[in-house]
Amino acid sequence: MPTQEVPFTKPVEDSVPKVDNAIAVGEDLDFQRRWWKFERVIWSFFLLILLCDALGLFGRGWLAKAHARTPDGALDLKYERIERASTPSIMTIKLGPSAIQNGQAHLFLSDDVIRPMGAQRIAPQPATSVIGNGGITYTFPATAPPATITIALEPSFVGAHHFHLGIPGSEPIHATVVVVP
Amino acid sequence: MYTLVHAIVGYFFLMIVVRVLTRRPGAQMTLFEFVIVFLMGGVIILSTVGNDRSVTNCTCAVICVGFLHRATSWAKAKSPRLGAFLDGTPLVLLKKGQWQDEVMQGMRLAPEDVMAAARTKGIRSFEDIDYAILERNGGISVMEKEEEGDK
Amino acid sequence: MAIATILRAIFGYVFLILMVRIVGRRPGKQITPFEFVLIFYLGGLTLTGMVGQEVSFSNAACQILTIACTHYGIAIARQKSPRLARVLDGTPLTLLEGKQWRANTMSRMRIADDDVMAMARDQGVRTLDKIDTAVLERNGEISIIPAESEED
Repeated sequence: MPTQEVPFTKPVEDSVPKVDNAIAVGEDLDFQRRWWKFERVIWSFFLLILLCDALGLFGRGWLAKAHARTPDGALDLKYERIERASTPSIMTIKLGPSAIQNGQAHLFLSDDVIRPMGAQRIAPQPATSVIGNGGITYTFPATAPPATITIALEPSFVGAHHFHLGIPGSEPIHATVVVVP
Repeated sequence: MYTLVHAIVGYFFLMIVVRVLTRRPGAQMTLFEFVIVFLMGGVIILSTVGNDRSVTNCTCAVICVGFLHRATSWAKAKSPRLGAFLDGTPLVLLKKGQWQDEVMQGMRLAPEDVMAAARTKGIRSFEDIDYAILERNGGISVMEKEEEGDK
Repeated sequence: MAIATILRAIFGYVFLILMVRIVGRRPGKQITPFEFVLIFYLGGLTLTGMVGQEVSFSNAACQILTIACTHYGIAIARQKSPRLARVLDGTPLTLLEGKQWRANTMSRMRIADDDVMAMARDQGVRTLDKIDTAVLERNGEISIIPAESEED
């Protein structure tokens, strides 16, 4: 039920303010001055956003790139600290000499890399993949370093994701990736 | 970051293409020109965002384009030469019963286009037109001859 | 993720309103073809972010309904509250009055004297001094009130 009844007809009144008592304009200069001030503020704010974006604070830029390695030099991980939802990106893992034994390299990836960060492909194809311990252990046939594994990511869940990866038996790399919408 | 570069390039590219392509005879936007405008807008959007369809990316691209437009209109206000380059200048098509042939041919306008604009103002014949001016947005302003009695 | 798509739609709508409002109103009939393209460009960019990868019909329908509801809600709110209407639409601004330009308003709104003159020509006014008052309306048009010199 409407709270106040709007009458069907009502007399025409001088409800729109006039300029010079002659022309009904309804100008509100005070408001407009405040609006101009607001515009100036918001444009500076937008400029700041653009600057952050160009630097990569929202992903895909200089500030987003991150680099981590294990103390023994077995793994060298390049990833993006800040990812964007449903946007492809690449994570690169370089294997050191101590990671390759008997022509094989093992790599453990925690489940977070697979699910929230949406690992799409892993190149090269691993020979075997074994699940367990909250993740997947891949085995790659390998000869000698330099050897590189790339993982194509396409995160679909917004938020901060903590993950770790490493070579079974040695210290893993822990890292956090923030996925923005 | 690449999106920002794409947005900047896209904005100026569109600006130049539209400046050259449109402001056609007849001046009103025809259905075909609306389609062209849709097409160009749509194509440039795809290349601007690329495969990054996140909200962050698109928001930044919109802000960037808005900012560019703001900056361009500021530059236009500062420099009339730039304004003339980007928007063109108003052109006189018909002056006191004389067709300005150079302008008419340069803009590829036919007298029928001017008459179409005149008819919308209720002017019946070409003799009643005093001035016809091609405006910067492509519209044609027609001024009727003042009544003899007034003079 | 239905909530996320609805939130994205609302965000897109509100963001575009703000964007269009602050990019500046140009005199309505003076809208150039390039500005047409620009409108699509802005709209399409927002749209891409709004839809994202979810190109299903149910998602499209859901987002359209969300935008429609938001728009309806804002239309009601605008009618109820003059303050909100002022924020969304701005106020009419006098550009020329009694042979005086409002120079401050003109430069802030990025309107040059020939923009006013173009509108005046459209109404059959031939020179600037035959204009009594010029008002930039909320929809971006410039209304010209010609001086009533002949009668006096």
